[in-house]
Parts: sequence; structure tokens; C-alpha cells
Amino acid sequence: MAASPSIVPVAVTAAVVPVLSASSDFSNLREIKKQLLLIAGLTRERGLLHSSKWSAELAFSLPALPLAELQPPPPITEEDAQDMDAYTLAKAYFDVKEYDRAAHFLHGCNSKKAYFLYMYSRYLSGEKKKDDETVDSLGPLEKGQVKNEALRELRVELSKKHQARELDGFGLYLYGVVLRKLDLVKEAIDVFVEATHVLPLHWGAWLELCNLITDKEMLKFLSLPDTWMKEFFLAHIYTELQLIEEALQKYQNLIDVGFSKSSYIVSQIAVAYHNIRDIDKALSIFNELRKQDPYRIENMDTFSNLLYVRSMKSELSYLAHNLCEIDKYRVETCCVIGNYYSLRSQHEKAALYFQRALKLNPRYLGAWTLMGHEYMEMKNTSAAIQAYRHAIEVNKRDYRAWYGLGQTYEILKMPFYCLYYYRRAHQLRPNDSRMLVALGECYEKLNQLVEAKKCYWRAYAVGDVEKMALVKLAKLHEQLTESEQAAQCYIKYIQDIYSCGEIVEHLEESTAFRYLAQYYFKCKLWDEASTCAQKCCAFNDTREEGKALLRQILQLRNQGETPSTEMPAPFFLPASLSANNTPTRRVSPLNLSSVTP
Amino acid sequence: MASVHESLYFNPMMTNGVVHANVFGIKDWVTPYKIAVLVLLNEMGRTGEGAVSLMERRRLNQLLLPLLQGPDITLSKLYKLIEESCPQLANSVQIRIKLMAEGELKDMEQFFDDLSDSFSGTEPEVHKTSVVGLFLRHMILAYSKLSFSQVFKLYTALQQYFQNGEKKTVEDADMELTNREEGERKMEKEELDVSIREEEVSCSGPLSQKQAEFFLSQQASLLKNDETKALTPASLQKELNNLLKFNPDFAEAHYLSYLNNLRVQDVFSSTHSLLHYFDRLILTGAESKSNGEEGYGRSLRYAALNLAALHCRFGHYQQAELALQEAIRIAQESNDHVCLQHCLSWLYVLGQKRSDSYVLLEHSVKKAVHFGLPYLASLGIQSLVQQRAFAGKTANKLMDALKDSDLLHWKHSLSELIDISIAQKTAIWRLYGRSTMALQQAQMLLSMNSLESVNAGVQQNNTESFAVALCHLAELHAEQGCFAAASEVLKHLKERFPPNSQHAQLWMLCDQKIQFDRAMNDGKYHLADSLVTGITALNSIEGVYRKAIVLQAQNQMSEAHKLLQKLLIHCQKIRNTEMVISVLLSVAELYWRSSSPTVALPVLLQALALSKEYRLQYLASQTVLNLAFAQLILGIPEQALSLLHMAIEPILADGAVLDKGRAMFLVAKCQVASAASYDPPKKAEALEAAIENLNEAKNYFAKVDCKEQIRDVVYFQARLYHTLGKTQERNRCAMLFRQLHQELPSHGVPLINHL
Repeated sequence: MAASPSIVPVAVTAAVVPVLSASSDFSNLREIKKQLLLIAGLTRERGLLHSSKWSAELAFSLPALPLAELQPPPPITEEDAQDMDAYTLAKAYFDVKEYDRAAHFLHGCNSKKAYFLYMYSRYLSGEKKKDDETVDSLGPLEKGQVKNEALRELRVELSKKHQARELDGFGLYLYGVVLRKLDLVKEAIDVFVEATHVLPLHWGAWLELCNLITDKEMLKFLSLPDTWMKEFFLAHIYTELQLIEEALQKYQNLIDVGFSKSSYIVSQIAVAYHNIRDIDKALSIFNELRKQDPYRIENMDTFSNLLYVRSMKSELSYLAHNLCEIDKYRVETCCVIGNYYSLRSQHEKAALYFQRALKLNPRYLGAWTLMGHEYMEMKNTSAAIQAYRHAIEVNKRDYRAWYGLGQTYEILKMPFYCLYYYRRAHQLRPNDSRMLVALGECYEKLNQLVEAKKCYWRAYAVGDVEKMALVKLAKLHEQLTESEQAAQCYIKYIQDIYSCGEIVEHLEESTAFRYLAQYYFKCKLWDEASTCAQKCCAFNDTREEGKALLRQILQLRNQGETPSTEMPAPFFLPASLSANNTPTRRVSPLNLSSVTP
Repeated sequence: MASVHESLYFNPMMTNGVVHANVFGIKDWVTPYKIAVLVLLNEMGRTGEGAVSLMERRRLNQLLLPLLQGPDITLSKLYKLIEESCPQLANSVQIRIKLMAEGELKDMEQFFDDLSDSFSGTEPEVHKTSVVGLFLRHMILAYSKLSFSQVFKLYTALQQYFQNGEKKTVEDADMELTNREEGERKMEKEELDVSIREEEVSCSGPLSQKQAEFFLSQQASLLKNDETKALTPASLQKELNNLLKFNPDFAEAHYLSYLNNLRVQDVFSSTHSLLHYFDRLILTGAESKSNGEEGYGRSLRYAALNLAALHCRFGHYQQAELALQEAIRIAQESNDHVCLQHCLSWLYVLGQKRSDSYVLLEHSVKKAVHFGLPYLASLGIQSLVQQRAFAGKTANKLMDALKDSDLLHWKHSLSELIDISIAQKTAIWRLYGRSTMALQQAQMLLSMNSLESVNAGVQQNNTESFAVALCHLAELHAEQGCFAAASEVLKHLKERFPPNSQHAQLWMLCDQKIQFDRAMNDGKYHLADSLVTGITALNSIEGVYRKAIVLQAQNQMSEAHKLLQKLLIHCQKIRNTEMVISVLLSVAELYWRSSSPTVALPVLLQALALSKEYRLQYLASQTVLNLAFAQLILGIPEQALSLLHMAIEPILADGAVLDKGRAMFLVAKCQVASAASYDPPKKAEALEAAIENLNEAKNYFAKVDCKEQIRDVVYFQARLYHTLGKTQERNRCAMLFRQLHQELPSHGVPLINHL
């Protein structure tokens, strides 16, 4: 999750710049700590609170400096001294959010710091007015029309300064933000890259760059400064682009060089594990994080998702109450509470809290999807569809929303219709077995068994999460009276279950054994058949059948019928299944029906 | 005959084939432009009867409706429009807006306070329920709903609007003066201009809901009726994206975008838009309390139905069937008979692709009548008629059925179906070989259009029925040798249905066929051969048939025979009787050209039996022609002559010019052949008659440029003159023959051995 886009530029006086040029290696942690402390101060002076927070957090994770090494504050220049009074007054106004007033008193100031604060105040004032306008616009269709009026003027002024090369790192950052707000993405990227070159320590510029880069290719063509900040940036963008392996590698490196105490890195790693659905690891890291930083609210929504998936009611309840005490008007808090209610099946209340989260931040897309899920639980399909559509509008690549839409239509008994949505979801997550199983089920309902078989096989091949694909595939084969394949699937299924060694109750286990027993019985492989039948007896629903089969086998054996030796015995019991018999997870190209819009 | 019914897709903005502008509640608000229009209305009310001349007042009234409905335009454009209708009013409007914009906020407030005065008094200037009255009241209501800050915002917007208008006029005025301005200022100005222009392009003003609805319904009806007049696909999509940016909940825009994507044959985007539309519709359907659960389920059914239509449109019949099954199941569950009816019609359309299923159709018609769905009912009747026509039902029954459905159309004024009905009649008459009747029906459809545009303002210009009728017209003209007229018609078709539009295939095929026929007549077989590929792409059966004909003409008999046999089996399987008979005729020709006329006879008799059974008169007379020729070759010219007497009448009445010529030529040949046994004076008389007939044949052939045939005729005439001893005429004919013979390559085929 990207940090809030509110802005954080800073102007650095020429004298400070040499200190700020960061080296590319991590050998001198003290130097890095010094730089971090310096930039935290600079950003704070310019009202760039998020960057300041980030730098301070990171600095905190490094060992403290002795008094002798502490850096004196940067010297005050002549210009700064001139503007000192105006700056002090304006900064006070700025801090109490009286932006226009701040800008008024800063008008005409020459020092870089004052100039930045002047421009930044004007920008924020425009943003604030825009938000106020939205409520009070002339008509509903004008909603998208409301603009930050100040942007164009700011752009003209900043571009003049930019051409004259009068902008420092913070100025460039602000210019980039203005360009991005005007949807001039290409220009914005160029300016941000320039900003990172001039002032690599400023995390805000890197973060903005993260939001603008949409794929790996774009990343390749950027010429970024070779500093240690770049590592943080790369790790962050890999997480954003779902390149989890690379991201984890980067973070591990950062921890190794000495940032092991940084809560930022720890939380990022937890999020990365969450994204690849390694739930246990993510949970343990989050628990660790909460111990270190008990009042942290960021990323706690992700944590609550994990708890939800594992149905850890008490932990989730504790987390929800805890966060509520810290700050109940945070998006993350609302999300956690929503998850909590959802787990307790109080879906109306859950939906309410997700709505509240959206009111606090309409672009918080996770909440739309979650709200859709809640409406689904409440059987309010139309509201669910609406919520999912909103989620898709905010982010077209939200596979959960597409999947949710598919589920909604499946509940409405429109299997053909929902194919489209599942396909979309599948396109976005080609290796997620859940979409494939859903697709397979739809095809099964439409009686397109060939397609369904492909889907199930593929779902198994990419690593089935719910372990259901094989059973479904086996049943399909059973339906098509392809008994050999069916038996093979059941064997693989049982193998899978035994090999992962989970004690989770698998309802289909008995079905598998029953089928196998009968299959071996038909093939006259008495030993195997009787073993399977014995297994059947372990389950309530198949006990009687198992016993009957055992009796039959005994009878036939006593009659002296020898097992036919001509019959090839291709399959063995799960216990005796040797390594050479393990199914190859061959991923065949999935070619679903001809039309895949 | 193309299926006329494929063009019908269900459109939620349309009931019984008529697109309605969907009328919602007050969804309008005051903008500076609206204020300017209000000022105009106010001025019009204030100026008495005498001040503005009658002509000017009429022009102004005509101007009003587009102004009220259309999108916002700049002040200078508005001035210009008013100026064109009435200069003096434009002046006073300009002055009043200037006063208001340069004055104070209270001027605007006062203006709105005074507005409602127009309704008061014993004889109000504006009637409350008139178009203008409604607009005024909407505006007054919208204005009084504005909050304090909004009023001020509106006023500043008005000032901005006025200043922009002023700047434009000033700019125009001091065009010449600016030249001497210093570079600095000019550059700055340019910079500003650029950004303004950018803005103008990116958002040409957000449309209010009313304006947006008007825009959508206008474009939708244009797409349906006259695609060429609608915006181009790209620009329409741009507008729609713009619209959706400002209001993502405006579901109808998604539907229009679906239609727009259909135009460019984009499966992916159109599916996307369609499903998006229905997702959105489901939401609004649930919100409207009046429909409740009913409205919600309804949109689900139609969503599935539309998806089926979409897949059908793109030729994914299996997918379409699955979607249709789904729609049927949901509709059955909720007892929605109307939806089921729609499904049934579609089921027929889908079934048509595979095998004939007229039982379904009959059932559908009955049900549709029962549920009072005239549109579907007569659509069903039309499909049934088409299907029966192919199955060989008598014309009077079909025409009766069409007449009945016509009654229905006129009663419910379903103009679209009337067009289809006439187009269908044209096609049926042509199928039966009555070219005069076909011509008359086609002309009727074309002239009826002009009638209707005067009456209802609904100009159906661009529908499939027109394309079909025009294609028939072109072919009919080409048959009669009026190639100039035919190409004129085709040119018109090209204009009306640009090559990438939905019905363009119709005229493309027609065009190629005509060209092919001409090339064949001319003896330019290589040219014809090159056209075959194009024809095959549009219609594979037709293509194969034409290929066989070319092969035959180039004396590649065995290849042609193989092709024809394959085609024959295929056509018998799909029961394309028309083509079966044509193929049989070609096969027969093959036989007698390879000097085995006896084998040709049973084939010809089979063809004759078929064409009589299906009442395909045109093909029947062609068969008779062939039969007679076979008999001539077999040496029984008297028999042939009597057979010809039977066939000559319909050929001369309705046949193509080429056939007329061939018939006359054949008559002459038979006359000569049978005259062989006569005594000299009678023989001379018979030969004279033959020469007369040959002259006639020559005229016919000349009309369609059949040089080869003319050569044969001239040769034959020369011989006859020679027999009669008329040397002078003989020499003239011989010279003509020599000229033609030098022009044309000889294929070594015996001259006489040609029909």
C-alpha cells in the first residue's frame, strides 16, 4: 500500500547539498544515519511530514551516534536570515492549516526554503478547496470536473523556474507532484527522476515515482541515481509490481546490512508474504512487529486479513479493540473492525465499517471489494455487484473484485454469464487455482466437460490451494466413464493429502477410497482392493460399503479365483506409491474456449 | 437473399422498434450558457409582435429547440447563431448579458426573480407546459435550489463565460494590430492559448444529465437508422469516455459504447461494455422502488439474452446458445413470457444456422400474438415467410401472410418492419422470377422513404432492408443491360453503407457478381477468375459455383465437373434449391458441350421438375431453353420449337436480356433446322423469319456486350443470306463477322455448339 500521496518536498540550500549526496553502499552506517537525521529535519522544516516520518523511523532503527559525531544544524545563509521572520510566521500558519495566510506572508521571499513553503502552501490550499468544492458543486456531473484551480498557475511558475534551473530537490518534487495532478504522467516521471538525482535522500520523490511506474519495462528504462536509497525504492516497487521474490530478496539484503530493527522493512516483508499467501510467515512477522511497535496502525488491515483467513477470532477482536483505542477514525482501523464483524457473521455492521473506511478515503480500494463480499454474505447481490464494480473502477487489476463478480453471478445461477468475470480474474492471476476451479465448475454446469477437465487439471498443475481440483477432475472422469483416469486422479489426491500431512478433515477422502476399492475390485486386484476397502471402514459414510466389499473379496478369494496376471497393475496403494509414480506436474498450455473476451 | 432479421438486437432504449429518449426527472442545472439562453427567451418575450418580423420569429423558434437540448456552446457561437436568425435581437441579448456580467451579483438574482413573471398575467407569454415553459421552470427550480456559495460560483462562472466570449471577439478584431506587439507578451499569450485549447479539447464542457441523455438517444437512433450520420466510432468513443469520466454511473453510455464497438467488430470491448452496462443497470433497477425485485431480475434475464445476441452477431453460435439457454432458464423461473418470446425468436435465429426449425417459429408467432407483442409476431411471420419461400410454398399464400403482417405494422406504425416486409417482397418476386414486380417493390420502398421523412421525421436510411432492396435494384438493372444505372445504384450504396459498416457485405457481393457476369459476357475469363476469390470470401457457395462456370468456359471440363458434383451434394444437403437447379443446368451444359446431349436430358428434366415444384419460374424457363437446345442437337427441331413456344413468353416478359437473346437465337436456329425439309418458297419464308429473329437476338446481345454471341449470330445470318442469295446483306454480315472474329480469340469450339 503506497503511503498517502500528500506531499513532502523540501528546498535545500546549496551549502547542504554535498552532505546529502549519498553513497551507493551501506558500509558506513553512521554516515547514513547522519544523512537520515539531516533529511528528517529538512523535510520537517518544509512541512513534508510523511517523508520526515519515514526518515526518522529509519534513522531510529540504526544505533545512536555519540555526541561528537552529531551533526550541527546546517548554517544559516544570508537569504535565510532575511526571510527568517516571514518564514517563522508562515510556518506557524501552515502548521494550523491556514495555507492562504501562510502563502500571503511568504510572497516575495527569496530563500529556497521560504519559496518552497510558499508554493507548497498554495498547492495545499488548492487541494483543500477542491475537497470542499466537491461537496458543493453545481451538479452531479460536475463532480469529476472539480479541479485544483491553483495547479495551472503553479505549473507555469514552476516550469519557468525549472527551465532556469533554479529549482532544488524539493522544488523539483513539488513540480512533479503538480504535473502528476495534471495527468501529465510522462513529464512528471522525468521531473521525479531529476528530483531523485538532485536530492536522493528525499523518500517522497521515490514514493511518487513508485505510484507512476506501472510495469517492469518502465522501471528498466529509468536512469536512477546510484545511492543506497535506490535499494529501498527497488524493494518497494517490486512489492507494488507483485514481484514478490525479488522484493523479499532486497529486503533481506537491507536487513543484513543493519536495518533489522526498522519497522518499515519488517512490515513490508510481512505484506510481501501476505501477497504470496504465505500466511503463517506473514502472521508471525506481524506479531513480531506489533510487539516492537504496539501503536502502529499502518498495515494493520493486512494483518487483520490474515487473521480473518485463519479465523483467529480472539486475536482479531483484540487487534480491533486495540486499534480502536489508538485511533478509531483511521481507514485501517475501520477495515480491521469490518473484518472482525465479518468473522462474527455480523455482516451489516461489517459493511457499515467498510463504508466508513471509504468515506475516510474514497480511493481505498480494498474496502470496496471487502464490502462486496459482505453484501454477498447478506445475499444482497445487486449491492455486491455495485461494490465490486466500484472496486474495478478504482483499480482494473483487482482480481478479487472480478472474482467476486463472478461469484455473484454464479449465485444468481448464471454460469455462462459469470465465465467472463472468472476469465478476467484468471487473466490477472494466471497461477491462482481458485479462479481455475471456479471456471471449471462453471464449465461443468454448462456441460462443457472437456473445458472443465482442462481447468481442473490446470488448477492442480499450478498448485491447488483447496485440494479440490483433483477430486472434481476424478468425478468428471467418473461421469465420462473414464475409469482409469478417474482412479489415477483419486490416487494423486490421496497422495497429496498424505504428503502434506495436514490433519484437516477432507470429506472427499472416503469417496476416493470407495471408488478406488471398487475400481481395484473390478480389475480383480484383490490385495489393493481389500486395503482400500479397509480404509473405507475408517469413515462413517462408507463403513458399510467397505465391509460389504471386504466380504465379497474374501468370498471370491476363497473360491480360488486367482488374480488375473494379464491385467496390468498400473496403480498401487497410496502407501506403496513409489517415487517413480508421482505424477508429473506438467503444465499444459491452457486453451479455453475459442472466445475469451 | 440475406436474412433481414439479424440486424435486430434488443435495445433497452427501444420498445417495439422505436427508440425513445428516456425521460427522467429534473436532472438539469443552471450554467452560464443556460443563463444566456434564458436571456434570449426573455428578450423574445419582451419584444412585441411588431418588432420582429414573422420570418425572423419563425427562424428563432426553429433555433430554440436545439439550443435547449444541445450541449453548452461558447457565447460567441451563441451570438452568431442568434445573429443569423435575427440580428437586432442578438444585439439586445448581448447588451443584457454584458450588463449582467459586468454588474453585480444582484443583477443576476433580479433576473431570476423576474423570470417567473412570464407565466403570470391573464395571457401569459409562455405556457407553463410548453417546451419553453418547462425549460424555464426547470431553470428557476434549479436556481432556487442552489446554496449560497453555489450562487456565487455561478455568477463568477458567468463572468468568466462572458469574458471568454469577449476575448474571442476582441481577438478577432485586433488581429492586424498584434503584429507589432513585443515578442515577450506574445509568447506568454500563446502559452496561455495553448493551455486553453488543450482544455477545450479534453472536456468540451460536461453535459448535464439531460444533455447527455439527449446526446445518447440521438446517437443511438442514428446508429440504428443512419450510421453514416452518426459520429465516427473513434470520436463517439471519445465522447463517451468523457461522459463516463464525469459520471461513471451513467449506465446508458456503456450501452452506447457497446453498440459503437459492434460497429468496429470489436468483440472484447463490446463484451466488456455490455456486461458493464448490465452490472450498472442491475444496480439502478434495484434502486428504483417501483420495479423492486422484479426490475432487478428482469435486467438479469435481458443481460443473458443480450450476451447471446452479441455472440450470435460475432458468429459464436455455440456460445450464443449457452447464453440463450441461460436466459431461457431464468426467464422461465420467473415466468417472464415477454422475455421468453424474445428468447424464442433468437432460438429460431440460432436454429436457422444449423437446420430448419419452422415449428419453433410457428409456435413463436402464436405466442407472440397471444401476449400482444406485435413486433415479435410480425417478425416471426416474416421469418416464416422467408423460410416457406425457400421451401416452395405458393406465392399467393406468402403474399397473404405478408399482407396480414403489414396490417399489423401499419396499425402499430412499425416503420422498420414495413421496410423489411417490402424488401422481402422484392426478394420473393425475384426468387419467383418476376423481375417487373420485384422492380416495382424495390422502387416502392425507396420512394416510400421520402414520404416518411416528411411525415414522422424518422428517416430510416441505413437499414438492412434498404441495402437489400438497393442491391436487388442494381442486379435487376444489370440484368437488363443498364450497366450505367446499376453502377449508379452501387455508387449510392457505397456512399450510404461505407465499406466497414455492417451491411456493406451485401453490396460488395452484388457488385462482384455484376462484374463477374460482365466479364463472362465479354469473354474475359481471366478477369472473371480473379473476381471469384472475392465472391468466395463473401459467399462460399456462390464462389464455388462461379469458379465452376469459369472453368467450364475455359474448357476445363473435368475440373468443372468435379467441382459441380461436390457443390450439388452440398447444396442438396443444405436444401438450397435455387443453387441446386443452377448447378444442374451447368452440369447439363457440360454434358452437351462434351457432345453427349443424351446424358444431359435426364439432368435437365430433374432441374425442370425441381423448378416447377418450387415455382422458380425464371430457372424453369432457363431449363426449358436448355432442353430445347438439347433436342435441337439431337435432331428434333420441331419438338424443340414447340417447347420454345412454351417458354418464350415468360422469358421475354421477365427474363434477363442475355436470356432473351439466347432464346431468340435458339428460335432462329430451330426454325432453320426445321425448314430443311420444307419446299423452297416456304423455306425462304421460314428463313426470312429466322433472320428477323436473329436481328432481334443481335439487339439483345448488343445490349449486354456479348461479342461472342453476336459473332455467332452474324455468322449465322451471313449463311442464311447466302442461302437466300442476298449477296449484299451477306457480305455486310460477313464483314461484321470478320471484324469480330479478329477481335476475339477463337477457342476452337464449333460455332453452332453454343446456346
